[in-house]
Amino acid sequence: MSGKQRVAIVGVGYSTVGRNTGLSLDTLTAQASIAAMDDAGVTPRDIDGVVVHSFPHQYVSSTHTAAMLGIPDLAFYSSSVDGAAYAVAALHGIAAVASGSSDMCLTLRTVHRAGAAGGTALMGGGENAGVGGQFQFGMPYGSFTGAHFAGLYMQRHMAQYGTKEEDFGAFAVAQREYALRNPAESFFHEPLTIEEYMNSRYIAKPLHLLDCDYPVDSSSALIFTTEERARDLKQKAVFFDAWAMGTTAEADFSLVEDMTHSSPFMAARRMWSKTDLTPSDVGVAGLYDGFSFIALQWLEALGFCGEGESGPFAAAGNTRADGIIPTNTDGGACNVGRRHGANFFIEVTRQLRGTAGDRALPRKPAAGVVSNAVGGFAACALITAD
Amino acid sequence: MTETAQVRPVRPAPDSLTSFFWDGARERRLLIQKCASCGRFQHPPEPVCHHCLSFDLGAGEVSGRGTIYSFEIATQAFHPWFADKIPFVIAVVELAEQPGLKLITNIVEADLAAIEIGDEVQVTWHQLDDEFTLPVFRPVGG
Repeated sequence: MSGKQRVAIVGVGYSTVGRNTGLSLDTLTAQASIAAMDDAGVTPRDIDGVVVHSFPHQYVSSTHTAAMLGIPDLAFYSSSVDGAAYAVAALHGIAAVASGSSDMCLTLRTVHRAGAAGGTALMGGGENAGVGGQFQFGMPYGSFTGAHFAGLYMQRHMAQYGTKEEDFGAFAVAQREYALRNPAESFFHEPLTIEEYMNSRYIAKPLHLLDCDYPVDSSSALIFTTEERARDLKQKAVFFDAWAMGTTAEADFSLVEDMTHSSPFMAARRMWSKTDLTPSDVGVAGLYDGFSFIALQWLEALGFCGEGESGPFAAAGNTRADGIIPTNTDGGACNVGRRHGANFFIEVTRQLRGTAGDRALPRKPAAGVVSNAVGGFAACALITAD
Repeated sequence: MTETAQVRPVRPAPDSLTSFFWDGARERRLLIQKCASCGRFQHPPEPVCHHCLSFDLGAGEVSGRGTIYSFEIATQAFHPWFADKIPFVIAVVELAEQPGLKLITNIVEADLAAIEIGDEVQVTWHQLDDEFTLPVFRPVGG
């Protein structure tokens, strides 16, 4: 345990989620916050910390969020626009509670469907104004969006280790199996075959459409508190055991030194150095799947398989419910939509506290691991049931 | 073509830090930011040298030789300019001058089915419009 205070997850919640909800970022944020408070059995007056992570162009600040919810006074607030998706908010919230800066911290990730389309959204000023900053060295070449680093990372892994497109597809197929057991949250309700994956169009070959998460409007909220306060709340608390961020020396995802050993390796190594747990103690994983290769890189970084072996590992079914490490048991963001990292924390919490319903794993896990992002920045955490 | 139907390319917006790169490209010279203190190249340009923290940075001309670190075949246009360009190759090329010195580019004049990581490439030039020229790469001997 890394901090002074043990940090518990005591509430989780989602907003209305949909392709085009017509709801503002503020409304979605308030909905998810209220859902998480209801889940925990707390009110705004119990909360003294708010942490958000946003895309810079879809910004809802922590203090504005607190004002919307009628939280009278914040002991801790933080709004980040840089880094590993929801996990940045989570790790700030953990740090706040562990250090005693906040007794009960609401952590949030709100995203509109168009958020990560990047490209033209980031150009600002219209096309005639041109693109500045680091983007002037990518966008004129047609490198606009996450898909354009993803294809490069996949190709490099395939060339280095002999990974096949079908291996990435096997991961997508396994995720869909989970999604069918999560009809309330999944946007997909039919089984996926490897043939359908292979026949899905390329975005940036070797990247297929079905390697990509599903863009939606969503807000996700989790509430963290101290062990002492957690014991009196509505839900069975689960606890953060260890957590870590990691980065590469290069900021541009397409220019990292080693695409097959990017920031997940740094974050995972750091996290394992802070715990007595090992990968064999972990019974459930929530691994970021903005693109399917990201989850595969995390399988290697976290040590669930050897370096370079994630393709055959996934193809052999090891991420399924009866496999070595059941992964993304809610269906992942490819199926439940882009919650930008928060769904992994929420689903692993539900598995560990026993509220996963039909998705409860045959072997009830005592510990789970969650991860966000890849490339230039990453973060991960271990969560235990007790 | 009417004014409204014209699709303009995605142009860089150079600033004081980056204009040397585009000025060089216009003259068909590949210039990369180079530290006057330690002699190391870095890309994209930054105000300070990552290696020695010197602010005394200039530009150095490189050979334009390199190898393909990774590549992909773009099959979806994320901007109207690329609608009639797909499929085309986006690549990361590692320049010969320094290990790890890489840039995002296009591979041109290549058989899309034959490109491999590790292929040797040489800079060539794609005139984007009246003002800008992009350094792109073609296979050596291709």
